[in-house]
Amino acid sequence: MSARDSLEMETRETRDIPAPDVPREQTPAEIPEQPLRGRVLDDPNSRAEASAESRQRVDGDWKPRRFEPPRAELARFAPERAGLPATSVDSAAQYVAEHRDSRPWLAVADTASPEGRRVLAAMDSGDGHGHIRHEGWVTEEANRRRVACREDPAQLDPEKRSLGVDAVRQNGGPHRCGSTASRIADPDAFVTAFARGVEHPKVREALNMPFDPDLAPRAVKVPIADLLDPEGHRYCTGWRLQPVDGSMNAARKNRDSWNAARAEGRKPDVPEPKASPVRTFEGGVITFMFSRNEIEKRYEVATMYPEPLPGVHPKMTSSEFPRGEV
Amino acid sequence: MTSFYWERHPDGPFATLIAVATTYLHPENYDIDALKRLVKRQDVQEIQVFKSELREALIDPSRLPGDELSESVEYDDGSDEAFLRRLWHDLYGDESPEATGAPPA
Repeated sequence: MSARDSLEMETRETRDIPAPDVPREQTPAEIPEQPLRGRVLDDPNSRAEASAESRQRVDGDWKPRRFEPPRAELARFAPERAGLPATSVDSAAQYVAEHRDSRPWLAVADTASPEGRRVLAAMDSGDGHGHIRHEGWVTEEANRRRVACREDPAQLDPEKRSLGVDAVRQNGGPHRCGSTASRIADPDAFVTAFARGVEHPKVREALNMPFDPDLAPRAVKVPIADLLDPEGHRYCTGWRLQPVDGSMNAARKNRDSWNAARAEGRKPDVPEPKASPVRTFEGGVITFMFSRNEIEKRYEVATMYPEPLPGVHPKMTSSEFPRGEV
Repeated sequence: MTSFYWERHPDGPFATLIAVATTYLHPENYDIDALKRLVKRQDVQEIQVFKSELREALIDPSRLPGDELSESVEYDDGSDEAFLRRLWHDLYGDESPEATGAPPA
């Protein structure tokens, strides 16, 4: 039996994987209960969260919905197929209980099926970060700030997050984000996409590539409809950077300059980046990216995230249209 | 697109450049250090093609296929040319991209 054969035998402490930076924010369970109206009006963070979710509901045509998990299929999923340790339903529950304080994204396991929780715990015991940046624990406001300000939702230290410091890369450094920040908002939908994706021929080909310590498999795109049910795109939400002078290239450069100024304590001399909800993920894909596990000498899924079809522009009010955008 | 440029056009111009740059430099999985190690490998044919295509693209960025490079890599440099120049410098230092001679086999 190898050291990664079971979660009972190998916990995060024994593997010495660094916990996220502290201090951390309160988890929802730690926030004293108070009327929603009071929270929204009194707390700027709550106002921002409420605003972002409202914009996503209106402009992204999204509403929270429960995914009906294929429980028997998830129960058959073998984490070893993804280079993850074998995990039982019981050991997953124990893992979540042990690590939820230092790894708050595990709190979503409470709303997942037992079989989904098993897959989530297995993913969290690996080195991939898809479930940390692209699952429903990332709020709409966190995704908006990720794509607009390059704030890493995995970064639990608020000061570092506001300065754009990456929480996942070993040596920190600036957090990076493309033109879109997205998530699969339901935990069972997320792990179902992962479990099915791992068995997709294109993903298997990547994971089964002969190991080379310097080579990584190329990324793979799989249609959302192939991994979830025909309405699977409805579980996906995202925010897209608004173009500058009609150009997404210019928008990313503008964001880079804006973030550099903030990180250096200067007043930015470029406009503040803005983002809008992705209108729909219908027809979109789940992108899988891979990394090397140099200890185990095999490849793993580094991350997975939904992408909308190209040309699906955010819905913007007339006042939000950037100059030159048609 | 529902597939990558190099899947739609496996023999298309700069397919290897775009594939390698996306694999190692896309913001969701950025690892410039891995690419720096890889370009030192003389036994990986793909990386020799990558260097050759990077050199060609730097000499004439207008030959790149549309917006495929920027849409695939999602760099922050503002233009293909700026990205390619930075990338060349990061990987090959002061070596001139216009150096003559065939790329290593």
